[in-house]
Amino acid sequence: MRVELQNVRHVYAPGTPFEVEALRDVSLAVEPDEVLGIVGGTGSGKSTLAQHLNLLLEPTSGRVIVDGVDARTLKGSELRRRVGLVFQFPEAALFAPTVEEDVAFAPRRLGLDEEEVQRRVRETLELLGARHLAGRSPFALSGGEKRRVAIAGVLAMAPEVLVLDEPTAGLDPATREDLLGVVRALREGGTPVVLVSHDLDEVAEVADRVCMLEEGKVRAVGTPEEVFYAHPEASLAPTTVRVVAPLREGHPEVGRPVRFEETLSALNGLLEGRG
Amino acid sequence: MTAGRTLGQFYPVESPLHELDARAKILATGILAVGLFLVDSVTGLLLITTAVVLLVAASRVPPGIFLNFLKPVALIVALTVLFQVFFSREGATLLEWGFLEVHEGGLFRGLFLALRILLLVSTAALLTATTAPVELADGIEDLLSPLKRLRFPAHELAMMITIALRFIPTLHEEAQKITRAQAARGADFSEGGPIRRARAMLPVLVPLTIGAFRRADELAEAMESRGYRGGEGRTRYRELHFRARDALALAAAALVVIGGILV
Repeated sequence: MRVELQNVRHVYAPGTPFEVEALRDVSLAVEPDEVLGIVGGTGSGKSTLAQHLNLLLEPTSGRVIVDGVDARTLKGSELRRRVGLVFQFPEAALFAPTVEEDVAFAPRRLGLDEEEVQRRVRETLELLGARHLAGRSPFALSGGEKRRVAIAGVLAMAPEVLVLDEPTAGLDPATREDLLGVVRALREGGTPVVLVSHDLDEVAEVADRVCMLEEGKVRAVGTPEEVFYAHPEASLAPTTVRVVAPLREGHPEVGRPVRFEETLSALNGLLEGRG
Repeated sequence: MTAGRTLGQFYPVESPLHELDARAKILATGILAVGLFLVDSVTGLLLITTAVVLLVAASRVPPGIFLNFLKPVALIVALTVLFQVFFSREGATLLEWGFLEVHEGGLFRGLFLALRILLLVSTAALLTATTAPVELADGIEDLLSPLKRLRFPAHELAMMITIALRFIPTLHEEAQKITRAQAARGADFSEGGPIRRARAMLPVLVPLTIGAFRRADELAEAMESRGYRGGEGRTRYRELHFRARDALALAAAALVVIGGILV
């Protein structure tokens, strides 16, 4: 599925002293079969953008196009099933007495039969490595476990696009790695993922394309190597790029590696070339 | 960011009313409120109405937004008018419709009461719109502090008010976030009858309540870790200053009320 924002502008609290222009003329497409990373500082409009992808926020002006159709003409519930949105700190919205029931909430709302609901609950919990938590109370879990369950609660709708807003914020490294693994698995399975994050290193690991936002505007879009090597400053590029970028002056053969493993082998190649 | 504008919202602009001392404003609001119940002539009420309209203009709160502050009482006002209009059988009959009769006296009394309620709410809205929550709480604490000798917990009360006021927008924002998160999972809050809708709110209310308790815990810890031990010997960053203009404002409020009673 392809989701496209066309000249989207969003103003919070228009006409009051609290008025804020969060997005200014943003045009961006999420292509099928890609992980699109959205990066930018605090207040750059990342979360606002994420909520436009399923029209939980409506653009003040501009359009959202889903598979060639203006999203406003689609039914809200239909749109939200197709574009799954996991908010920042999604565990704040856990509410059911057991993990199982919490994850079952969304598929039940879709009116699926109970057998299908149970199958989806099992599968999504399995995918997120939380199958063993099914019978527990979501409130008695650790932070990382809660996050897994909350993400499963959206994935159980089997969305055609998954939007993750800061999915790894405040997580332990192991859960973080697992979640990035889930992002890769979804993409392999043909579900595009939008990963909104201020953690450039994790975006570098999984993104096929990167969109850099600044003060509500798109500052750069492209492959990770294009975007990050164009802005190798500390606040705009992942660690790998910051290490390699200065080496490129004397050793252009090192290339433009972005992922950790790529970077490691590029640096190894450089050292061997010397020996 | 998208705080709802409801009754009792601070509206941060610069105006003569915003600059007045919080204590003066609280007292003046009290004077006007009491006055509204003592005044029972039409001219008296119109005098106070004029004063309130002038005050709203002086507060620089846009009239449209100010009217929004009054929305929550619209239903009560409407019911009051209907009640008076239909159940009072005073004066000449204006209308007859089946068993319903509208009398002159009832209509008059209904409108009079409606205006009185609207004015009462307007003065309260003026107070909260022009006074920052912290100043409001400090003002209440100062005004109640003579009662501390009687072991009345004035400081604690003020702190509770401050915290409650401070967390209204926070909880509002949290409720919105959770509502959106559940909407993203297919929750629908607008379909079905009242019972179904109340049930649909459960996925929002449960996490909101849990979140409120967590916040309370965290706040208590944060306050303790900064050395909060209650009101004893605690100083303020912003001191309230009662100036000549505050005395004038009080005098003006008293004059309007006395004028309203006498005419």
